[in-house]
Amino acid sequence: MIDRRRLLLGGAGLGAAALSGCAGFTGQTGQDGEAPQGQTTLTFVNWSGDAEKAAFDALISRFEQANPDIRVETQTVPYADISTNIDSRFQAGDPPDLFRVSYIDIGLYTSQGVLLDLSETIGARSGDFVPGLYEAVVVDQVPYGVPHQIDTTAVLYRTDAFEAAGITDVPTGLDQAWSWEELAEVADRLKGVTGSDQYPFVYNWQAAGAYRWLSWLFQAGGALLTPGLDAAAIASEEGRRAVQFTQRFFTEEWVARNTSTKATTYASDEFVAGAAAMAFVGDFSLPTIDAGVDFEYGVLPMPRDVESASDLGGNAVVAAAEGPNTEAAARFCAFIAEQEQMRTYCEATGQLPTLTALTETELAFEVRPDLMPTFVEQATTLTAEQVRQVTVPAFGRINALLGDELEQAFLGGRDAAATVDALAAAVDGALG
Amino acid sequence: MSALSVPGVRRRGRGDRSAPLFAGPVVLLAGLFLVLPMGLALVFSLTEIAPLSGKVGWVGLTNFATMAADPTFFRSLLNTALFALVTVPGSMAIGLALALLMNSVLPARPLFRTVVYLPLVISGVAVGLIGSLLFNETSGVLRALALTFGLPVVPWQSSGPAAFASVVLITLWIRVGFCMIIYLAALQAVPPELHEAAQVEGASGWQRFRHVTLPLLGPATFFLLIMSVIYSFNVFDTVFVLTGGGPGSATEVLGTYAYDTAFGPARDQGYGAAIGVVVFVLTMAFTLVQWRRSRAARDGAL
Repeated sequence: MIDRRRLLLGGAGLGAAALSGCAGFTGQTGQDGEAPQGQTTLTFVNWSGDAEKAAFDALISRFEQANPDIRVETQTVPYADISTNIDSRFQAGDPPDLFRVSYIDIGLYTSQGVLLDLSETIGARSGDFVPGLYEAVVVDQVPYGVPHQIDTTAVLYRTDAFEAAGITDVPTGLDQAWSWEELAEVADRLKGVTGSDQYPFVYNWQAAGAYRWLSWLFQAGGALLTPGLDAAAIASEEGRRAVQFTQRFFTEEWVARNTSTKATTYASDEFVAGAAAMAFVGDFSLPTIDAGVDFEYGVLPMPRDVESASDLGGNAVVAAAEGPNTEAAARFCAFIAEQEQMRTYCEATGQLPTLTALTETELAFEVRPDLMPTFVEQATTLTAEQVRQVTVPAFGRINALLGDELEQAFLGGRDAAATVDALAAAVDGALG
Repeated sequence: MSALSVPGVRRRGRGDRSAPLFAGPVVLLAGLFLVLPMGLALVFSLTEIAPLSGKVGWVGLTNFATMAADPTFFRSLLNTALFALVTVPGSMAIGLALALLMNSVLPARPLFRTVVYLPLVISGVAVGLIGSLLFNETSGVLRALALTFGLPVVPWQSSGPAAFASVVLITLWIRVGFCMIIYLAALQAVPPELHEAAQVEGASGWQRFRHVTLPLLGPATFFLLIMSVIYSFNVFDTVFVLTGGGPGSATEVLGTYAYDTAFGPARDQGYGAAIGVVVFVLTMAFTLVQWRRSRAARDGAL
């Protein structure tokens, strides 16, 4: 019998059904979703693209093989709905055993004490993780999740557009990265050759991605928050420079006006649709982009100003503190942090590992392995100070405010000084 | 004429106990899913709710005080009012015009009727998605059409007024069918002998419409006005999908703002509930005023 709750869960049920089908091949599950006696079923709320879904299913299948007494039921929800889904489950007193959470949202959960203390499993291996990334899941020395993967932004470009514009000097490594002025020059040249249907580039700050604007601030040498993380530090010369430069994207028509921070489009979709000659996108988008494009493309690092910088994308897997299955959930967390499991997952999805041992070796990425070294190198520009700024408890709120205020600068024509002042006030308000 | 609008009163037997039985399920469902949530929203509007634990803290009228100083709230209120001001008369006027057309000797009437009514049966989210294919300013259908015919390309997504217009146009597309069907039913209930009598008296087509048809459409107009105003004040799905309230706050309406506040990154469910209460009070006040006016007009007619 199919259990009724699964049917009611609709989209989430689909994921669960696909999973039980997949796990069925391993012979580790009971019939038709009914767990046999003595078996624990963990619910795992997740969002995923096609490649991620397949990689998670395979990961779970291996976990179930190694732990015959545990079944993991995935509930896949759209990324845009993940917070609402998780929050309402917590409010109802029925949180999932496991869920996936982005680094920019994790602060809210760690600050409320609702996550399982993983000191014994993840904490015991703290030295294995890249220090800055490990810190993203730690509050008061207690790790509350597995820093599962990260992703970061680099620049994809169409080779046909570059050829048409005569751009041959394409940087490959960080040391050759374009300066802001060089990017401006390239954008102007591309504008000369791309038709009215194609803009020089598209930046990935839409759809809860406003925080990716901070890369420009960090490149300018600025900071969002003070070192104490208790006040805004954005009303600075660096902040104004970053706003001024990114405003030029719109005033000089390097990007389409409907790709601002509050737009409902995705940069990767615009690139696939041929609407941009270059796209600032995260490595996690590569499987989707590669499956969709019908043109040649390459990759180059993010431009640099006084510093190189990119954004901390990526997600942790966390467990709820309360519940009957915390021991099994902790085992799952420990399993996915194993070197071999992380390697397999990252290779399949084009995402970057968080274990030092893996960042130091070359992974055999399945999609466009030729492009991945640029992303891997770009990830080295993330600093621990920057990670700390984007994982404060209020960051989810700050991210939304960034989207609102930047859009006023980009589309509303508000000047840079007024924008950083408004941003500082908004950030201070969010920090409380 | 006035006798027509007074419904006949039917006498019931005293021993009829089936009434509560028939009303019971509806009352129960309405109580559970309408009255109770409404009451709770009112209670929550006076509280602060912790986003994860769900712990409720009493804050009195703080949420309403915040609202009084919140520019985004006023922008949303203004947008919602403007939206209602344009879409309500717009959809009713076009609906009436179409109903008159469908009530005439137009060929293939059932087909046209279906085509006009069709958008109403599609979910608001789907309509929003269709809208985003039409209005996308870099790859949309309207842009392609504009380029083909050499017309100026409208920045439907990045310019505030244009984005607002796109929401209005899509809403008219949805709502016109509803208004048409209601008016059509009302038109078909207009007794032909009144028109014949007017014709015999030498009334022109316009005079017959103005003095015979229009007054008899009164109840339908009242119904549509209330329903349309409520719809406009509660509009959410189409705007949420089509523009997400942007660019900036140009298309933010009370519905989307309440949702964003309660379930967006702010996670302020108490404040979100307070905005919901304002929407309720506004639509309720409008309905009461209209109801009184309509009743006064009817009593006057009697």
